[in-house]
Amino acid sequence: MATYLLRRLLLGLLTLLAITFIVYGLARNMPGTPLTVQMGESDPSRKLNPEDQERMKRIYGLDRPWHEGYLRWLGNVVRGDLGRSFSRKQPVTTLIGERIGPTFLLSGTALLLTWLLGVPLGLYASARSGLADERATSLLLYVLYSFPTFVAALFLQIIFAVWLRGTSWELPLFGMSDLPADASWAARAADIARHAILPVTCQTYVSLAYDSRFIKANMEEAVRQDYIRTARAKGAGPSRVLFHHAFRNTLIPLVTLLGLSLPGLIGGSVIIEQIFTWPGMGRLFFESIRERDYPTIMGLTLMFSVLTLIGQLLADLLYCLVDPRVSVE
Amino acid sequence: MTDSQSRHHSRGFWAEAWARFCRKPLAMAALVFVTLLAAVALFAPAIAGTKPVLCRYKGRIYAPCLSYFDRRLEPTIFAKDRFRGTYPRNLKEKDPDSWAIWPLVFQDPHRAVRENEWPGRPANPAKDEGHPNRINLFGTDQYGVDVFAKMVHGTTIALLVGVVSMGLAGTIGIIVGALGGYFGGWVDMLTSRVTEIVMCVPTLVLILAVIAIVEKPTIWKTMAIIGATGWTGIARLTRGEFLRLRQSEFVTAARATGAGPVRIMLRHILPNALAPVLVPITFGIASAILTESSLSFLGFGPPPPAASWGSLLNDARSNLSMWWLVVFPGIAIFLTVLAYNLIGEGLQEVTDPRLRDARK
Repeated sequence: MATYLLRRLLLGLLTLLAITFIVYGLARNMPGTPLTVQMGESDPSRKLNPEDQERMKRIYGLDRPWHEGYLRWLGNVVRGDLGRSFSRKQPVTTLIGERIGPTFLLSGTALLLTWLLGVPLGLYASARSGLADERATSLLLYVLYSFPTFVAALFLQIIFAVWLRGTSWELPLFGMSDLPADASWAARAADIARHAILPVTCQTYVSLAYDSRFIKANMEEAVRQDYIRTARAKGAGPSRVLFHHAFRNTLIPLVTLLGLSLPGLIGGSVIIEQIFTWPGMGRLFFESIRERDYPTIMGLTLMFSVLTLIGQLLADLLYCLVDPRVSVE
Repeated sequence: MTDSQSRHHSRGFWAEAWARFCRKPLAMAALVFVTLLAAVALFAPAIAGTKPVLCRYKGRIYAPCLSYFDRRLEPTIFAKDRFRGTYPRNLKEKDPDSWAIWPLVFQDPHRAVRENEWPGRPANPAKDEGHPNRINLFGTDQYGVDVFAKMVHGTTIALLVGVVSMGLAGTIGIIVGALGGYFGGWVDMLTSRVTEIVMCVPTLVLILAVIAIVEKPTIWKTMAIIGATGWTGIARLTRGEFLRLRQSEFVTAARATGAGPVRIMLRHILPNALAPVLVPITFGIASAILTESSLSFLGFGPPPPAASWGSLLNDARSNLSMWWLVVFPGIAIFLTVLAYNLIGEGLQEVTDPRLRDARK
């Protein structure tokens, strides 16, 4: 077990090195630097003169080739320093700390809703497999699964923010809160909840459709096994067969699915956060690419890759835990 | 055995799969829909445009509509005679004997139609007044450009994105997976690690970064980037199939006849591994279309005048009261994605023996 973990961790470190190297190289080779992109775009007259630009470049360490810059960034990361954002003049860790809450609010709620609705839906579909109501539900879920999130988001915005404007059903178009910071705690919570309804809906429905189909597919596989026939033969009722014998045996792939959804939980969704201007990680990522904010891009990439690797490792370890036949060796 | 029985051969795997596919109404409907889209893409200039499909001018026959595919295909005589892109009036004025076959809908995907450009027809409404009507079937955008014409001409992009990028991804994925699965050992170690690394890099970031690096982004470069990042799933599946098949008896037999590794991989293993690999490729086409339209939606689409369905949605973001800018392109993207998903699902059901036998 210990050797397995050690090997996985070493391989993970190698993967991390490769990913950060690639992304750093890509980021530094994008046309423009944080200096030119930020100041030149908003106002051409504020463009720095060449001497000032050279001076700034030296301060930011942009005068050296990118592979040297990568080594410097890597050295700082090993010492626990993710650097400071160029465009926001704040440490990257502080930025991430600010954005992680809103993203988690969205994705955590969405994940919870997905599983609370998806598991019963999947079980219902497999219990009534082949009947008219199940076929209708499955078809609906399938259609939902193919419905692009950003199209759904725009549809919802048109319905709830434009057509229903002025009614009690109106929902805010974007942002997280309209209230000033000194409003009461309860009012702010209610306001944030109202703002979160549309983005959470968008984030939930796709994974709901995917997960319930996934559960149903696994259940169909399980129901065909010999032990189900045995359970039926010994007189177990249909619900006991379904929950106790079949569903328990589909937990393994579900655990893997849960592990793989970990990075999305904190990484957020670029598109949804962008549409609803939700101040989360996905939006931060999008903005930092546009602003050529290398430290922020790198910090987010590092965090996202670490989470992906941890998610994969957790999924594999949980796999061994729920299925004694599987061993890590 | 009677004579008629011996002449009746059993059908091959693909013929059998096709026969099963034909019995699936949803999958077949999806296939018909995609074929229809391909026809729309191919005949786009004849469906919506302001240039004649065919015309006779000063004694010769031209097809100016081809210039919608490539600007260089516009016959030079019209530029010389100062048509400036306006055909109906100029044709009659400069050559009274001319005739022309016009597209089904007289609307241009790149510009607003002006007043009286088509005799007796008003100019396209601009700003947010272009509700769908008889002349502008799907309405007009804020500059007065017809949405229907834009969508018809955008079909090419939607279809090409899926096929080109997944063709590339399929090629890379099959090669990487086949090498790893067949040779095993350090080759497998290397290819698996590379696959894992590409898998771990967030796709959208990779695509956004590469698009930013590329000078002069075109739709072809976007397709190449989507393809170059979307092969990991295919590689893993191919690797699994090759791992399984390389130990089978027919491979040993092929090796005994003296076939080299390339021949064994291409001629013996690949045809047997193709069916399970085709399924993720079909699903990949759906997701490539989604990726392209979300990129265009975020403002990283092909440069104008090429308009993809996603960039139409991007225009709609700042004008939410113009619902027709959202509804029509949105539904087009949705239906196309749904169609490819249904085809993939059908393909999976007819080629996967476990699923196939379960349905009996």
